[in-house]
Amino acid sequence: MKVLIIEDEPALRASIQEYLEHQGYICELAADFPQAIDKVNEFDYDCIVADIGLPKGSGLEVVKELKLLESKAGIIIISAKDSLEDKLNGLELGADDYLTKPFHLSELNARVNAILRRKNFDGNTTVNFQEITIKPASKTVLVHHKSLTLTGKEYQLLLYFIANQHRVVTKSALAGHLWGDEYDQAGSYDFIYTHIKNLRKKMLEAGGEDYIKTVYGTGYRFG
Amino acid sequence: MKLLTKTTLYFLLIMLPVFTAGAFYLYTEFNQEIKYETDEELVNDKLQWMRYLDTASVNNPVFSIKTPEFNLHPTNDAAQQTHHLKGVNIYQEPENTYAPFRQLSQVIRLHNKNYELVLRKSLIEKDDLVKNIIHVMLAAFGGLLLFVLLSNWLISKSVWKPFYRSLDKIQKLQLNKLDATVFEPAATHEFKRLNTALSAMTSRIHNDYTSIKELTEDAAHEMQTPLAIAQSKLELLLQDDTLSETQLNSILTSYDELQRLSRLNHNLLLLAKIENQQYPLTEQPDLCTVVEKYLLLFEELIKEKELHIHKEITATAPWPLHPALTDILVSNLLGNAIKYNYPQGSITIQLTPEAFTITNTSHLPEIPANVLFQRFKKHNNGYTNSNGLGLAIVKKMADSYHFHLTYYYANDQHTFRVSR
Repeated sequence: MKVLIIEDEPALRASIQEYLEHQGYICELAADFPQAIDKVNEFDYDCIVADIGLPKGSGLEVVKELKLLESKAGIIIISAKDSLEDKLNGLELGADDYLTKPFHLSELNARVNAILRRKNFDGNTTVNFQEITIKPASKTVLVHHKSLTLTGKEYQLLLYFIANQHRVVTKSALAGHLWGDEYDQAGSYDFIYTHIKNLRKKMLEAGGEDYIKTVYGTGYRFG
Repeated sequence: MKLLTKTTLYFLLIMLPVFTAGAFYLYTEFNQEIKYETDEELVNDKLQWMRYLDTASVNNPVFSIKTPEFNLHPTNDAAQQTHHLKGVNIYQEPENTYAPFRQLSQVIRLHNKNYELVLRKSLIEKDDLVKNIIHVMLAAFGGLLLFVLLSNWLISKSVWKPFYRSLDKIQKLQLNKLDATVFEPAATHEFKRLNTALSAMTSRIHNDYTSIKELTEDAAHEMQTPLAIAQSKLELLLQDDTLSETQLNSILTSYDELQRLSRLNHNLLLLAKIENQQYPLTEQPDLCTVVEKYLLLFEELIKEKELHIHKEITATAPWPLHPALTDILVSNLLGNAIKYNYPQGSITIQLTPEAFTITNTSHLPEIPANVLFQRFKKHNNGYTNSNGLGLAIVKKMADSYHFHLTYYYANDQHTFRVSR
């Protein structure tokens, strides 16, 4: 899976690259608008992560170019601007997702993952991890080929964990993923624990292994 | 008080003593003139009488005539060469008052006998004179008043028109629409100056406003990038297996604090945007839908705290507010009601097309009115997940979009009410 990261800040570019590569993606980089245009014209990518504010141009123009090229790549816009207009603009131009800076790398990764799943296999694919099989189209989960009944949140959690397997995922990232930006309005992250506990219990009861490791109260690591 | 009313009033106040002085002057002048004329007539009468008495003295009678107007009787006083004139008051029987008279007196010699001749002429009564003058003056004053009022009305209709037009414009001024405000040049010199000054001022304010707005936004946006970099580096660092628990905790704390900083930044930007009215009223989102959406979103928090939710919600409640703001309004108030509640407490949500009321139980004391909507004022301890901006944002929203936000506290229940 090839991902193009269009971001002018070298440090952020490197962080995204490091995280995504660790999750098994092949990353290519573009630091400004001309580079980005060159790359999208020359190569095919599965997913493109594009910053809006670029030197010598806008990430939105890159999106337009991609649509002109009839590219099948999934597009995630990352922007420091959190205005509704920008968001709608980006999505209208044909971007698949929009993420506001600062974001959790695990969240970006999960979104890249979800887009690729939708794009490349039209949703008719399975996500596999050891004895766990997930069929996103029907939202079913199998452990040792036995169906598992999960709540919506538990299902989302599991997908997120598998996308970010072997990585430490913080509670705030989990909360942000499950409840959106408003999660901080209502207080603590403690309620995440309940969902994780339930998910873990259901998986164990189905004969699965306990993959969810608590990391020193920092967060969780799956696998 | 209107400027014209005020000037009219001052004008009348000045005119009042002028008219009084005028009346007084007229009175003395008239009085003098009448006295003079009467005296002349008296002298004339005297000459007539003297001539007549001289010729009428054939039988050498002794004259003794006594009427109020003509008085002739013998006297032992020495004859006088000249007459004396003076004013006297004579009793008037029918009216039971004294009336003013001019009196001419002279001791004259007729047929070797001395007589005192007294001639009197009634003056127009002073009272009548005063009355007449006052009447005339009042009529003049009234006429003037009417004239002034009428001309003022006409003046305010025409001359002040450009002023009122400019005033209307200033009143309807909106910061974000300053550039569209044009004060057209007026014909009157003063108003022309005023409008020129206003135009210059609005364009200056508009420029300042735009640059401050841009600065705020740019600063906030520029801050997000370094925050994103730092956060991403820390997230990568967290992946390191070799770190000790203390090290991990330090990283996590920094990570969380960075997020808090970013939220703070986000909220301050939001406050500025609301203040600048950058959320246009394009549609009327249904507040019911928004409330239901957030009840669903916070469902687990509500369940976890075992809160009882009482809903009294109308079918639809379209509110004239930008959709992004209705979301923030509901999530901030509902979020607070959950966050500061105690386990098994309750939340009452009342929604009508006119008002949105949310009441929650809490162990926290009443929030003092003076700090209620202050920025960064935290009304609690032990809730680190608060930046003290939630209520300030709702308040700013209320102020900027003209609805009311009230808070009251009774029976350990905190109530926030947003009404149109």
